[in-house]
Amino acid sequence: MNGATTVSLAGVGGQGIILGAAILAHAAMAAGFDVKASEVKGMAQRGGSVVSTVRFGRQVWSPVSPHADLVIATELLEGRRTLDLLAAGGALVYSTMVIAPGSVLRGEKAYPNDIEAAATARGVRLLGLDAEALAREAGTVRAANVALLGAASTVLPFADEHWQKALQLVIPAKIIDVNRRAFELGRDTVSQEVGE
Amino acid sequence: MERIPFLSGNEAIARGAVRAGLGYACGYPGTPSTEVVEELGRLDGPIVEWCINEKVALETAIGASLAGARSMATMKHVGLNVAADPFMTLALTGVNAGLVVFSADDPGMHSSQNEQDNRTFARFARVPMLEPSDSQEAYDFVAEAFELSEEFDTPVLFRSTTRLSHGRGRVVPRIALAVPERGYVKDISKYVMVPDYARERNRQALARLERLRSRSETTPLNVLEAGTADFGIIASGVAYAYAREAFPKAWFLKLGMSHPLPYQKIAKLNASVARLFVVEELDPFIEDQVRGLGLPVIGKEVIPSNGELDQEIVFRALEPVLKRKPPRRRRPTFPPPPVIAPRPRPAEDLPVRPPVLCPGCSHRAVYALLRRQKVAVMGDIGCYTLGALPPLLALESCLCMGAGIGMMAGLNKVAGRIAAVAVIGDSTFFHSGITPLIDARYNESAGLVIVLDNRTTAMTGHQGHPGTGLHPDRSSGPTLDIQALCGGIGVRCTTVDAFDEERVRGLLKAALAANELSVLVAQAPCALLDRTPKTAVLVDDERCNLCGLCIDLGCPAIVAGESAVSITDDCTGCGVCVAVCARGALTEPERVVP
Repeated sequence: MNGATTVSLAGVGGQGIILGAAILAHAAMAAGFDVKASEVKGMAQRGGSVVSTVRFGRQVWSPVSPHADLVIATELLEGRRTLDLLAAGGALVYSTMVIAPGSVLRGEKAYPNDIEAAATARGVRLLGLDAEALAREAGTVRAANVALLGAASTVLPFADEHWQKALQLVIPAKIIDVNRRAFELGRDTVSQEVGE
Repeated sequence: MERIPFLSGNEAIARGAVRAGLGYACGYPGTPSTEVVEELGRLDGPIVEWCINEKVALETAIGASLAGARSMATMKHVGLNVAADPFMTLALTGVNAGLVVFSADDPGMHSSQNEQDNRTFARFARVPMLEPSDSQEAYDFVAEAFELSEEFDTPVLFRSTTRLSHGRGRVVPRIALAVPERGYVKDISKYVMVPDYARERNRQALARLERLRSRSETTPLNVLEAGTADFGIIASGVAYAYAREAFPKAWFLKLGMSHPLPYQKIAKLNASVARLFVVEELDPFIEDQVRGLGLPVIGKEVIPSNGELDQEIVFRALEPVLKRKPPRRRRPTFPPPPVIAPRPRPAEDLPVRPPVLCPGCSHRAVYALLRRQKVAVMGDIGCYTLGALPPLLALESCLCMGAGIGMMAGLNKVAGRIAAVAVIGDSTFFHSGITPLIDARYNESAGLVIVLDNRTTAMTGHQGHPGTGLHPDRSSGPTLDIQALCGGIGVRCTTVDAFDEERVRGLLKAALAANELSVLVAQAPCALLDRTPKTAVLVDDERCNLCGLCIDLGCPAIVAGESAVSITDDCTGCGVCVAVCARGALTEPERVVP
């Protein structure tokens, strides 16, 4: 709407969704866009589903949108859940990591295994990666969110310098190098895929 | 011949409530509301208490309603500010037995610091409001209020003003009502107002408001009185009496139920007259809504918005307008009330992911023991509210901060034994758990208050509070000891390691058997802040038969496998699952003492 692009970040409370959204918002601002964002805190942070939204464009008014152009999900089920935000032509960048919710742990529900079929049915492009493994390779498993951002950077209109500036602004200095590595590993994974 | 009693409005309300089967009443004194509880104290039947403040009063009355007793909390207008927290959410949970909130306003500020118009609270909370205009109505309307409360599952705001409360009139007594017996009913999705449940209750409250509006159209409390003049007056409470006296020939819509308004009746009055007035003290509460229907109503442009009215003020205000030519008539419009429906669930039935207590959370340790006790557990607001969700289902109410203790006291007072305990976090205890504890001590209420003390304000992100002495700039100051505080109040208090299963179990058992008031501080630092090294619980795959006892604790670190559970890296080795395992399949690592 009004030419604004909406990116939603979805995951499980505690996975660094709010930090990821902050990096994305700063990258958009560095690239010269007007940005609005919204996050959900409080009760949702205790291991529940969380979604943060970042919207950028020439001028953005609303901080929320019922639709997204791109979703970045730090967990498979949460990625599957947020497919509904995406219209045909949208993209889902998601981590293949699985965190089973209580109803699955208790055997009441099955963990979904239809993400590819569901994405195809919706005409949504999928970019799945083992973000946890990439982050571990970079030096800390906690940087999985940033690895995903690296992957997502391949479909976002921000230059590398904008991302670097955003990382610099948001990430504490003592862990910036690990996060830069995680970002690059995520980005390169997708680039290779595209290159194949 | 028996003398017909000549009663003040407040005395009439008290007697009317007893006639309606009142089981429990309480309040905090405040002019002009005080005499309701005083009069009740002289009458046989209900349990009657003075409470420490209006918030605790309402919460205790809610507990009594949950226990099955028709209940009432009384206060002056500014008292409802203090009780606004429970009041606003009570409008969502609704009631068990009928519950009436009596608010006495003080136009003219005879004895008050402000002149707020509490009718706004009825609209604010979307609850029905009754406004009697004399003592007989005060007596009769109370019964109506209790019936409405139960029929529509809502608290009823019973609004009076000084002239009603302290005015006197003859009151013809009526035969006592037969009140159906009710008992406590556990209903988590109705009484635990976590967001998901609250959103649904909110939708129900909006639908209830429209059903109440239909009732407002048909109730004999709202009377359309034909006149011989060509103008009509809408009025409620004592303002009706003033207007009736000033203009005996006018048409009237007398509103005994002044929220929600009967739009059709207003339209009918409008169609019968050339000019429409609203006569009301203080705010344009009725007028603004009538104006919203598109009707050219005359009200606050001539009637003062401050102080009390009387018949002379009303006469002088309307007279000049009546001499002018009437304006053109308009037909009212009834704006439809749209309600936001829940977001449509996607066609696929994906497993939901509600928030959960973290691995190693000390609240789980207490709930694991508490849920086996045969008591209702009144809850509060914090991480520990999550104990209400599956699979723990260990918590049965969550109304507003500090409410659980008052509700427990009311429930136990009506039950005559410890039928309920209360759990409250350390930060919430400081927020508003101390006053109801003092109240419970004063009113000699039995019960057990369990302070789930994780040494922080966890849910919002680990802020400081008086128990930790920590400040936003990370400096620290003096700390307040809950056990010492309880000692000062005169309540027995024990502090225990929340993970000391045997001790907590023993203390629970003893407290529940004692039938007196006590506090148990179950202490262990928030698992997210506890940086001591952790070793995970070990599983003996041979012994585990996937019985589900440990899974039922809702710990995210316990995963059901093919033939045995497995424990994830998130395990802190807290050992709560080890204690519930009946087959000795789980082994606790040696606990590292900080």
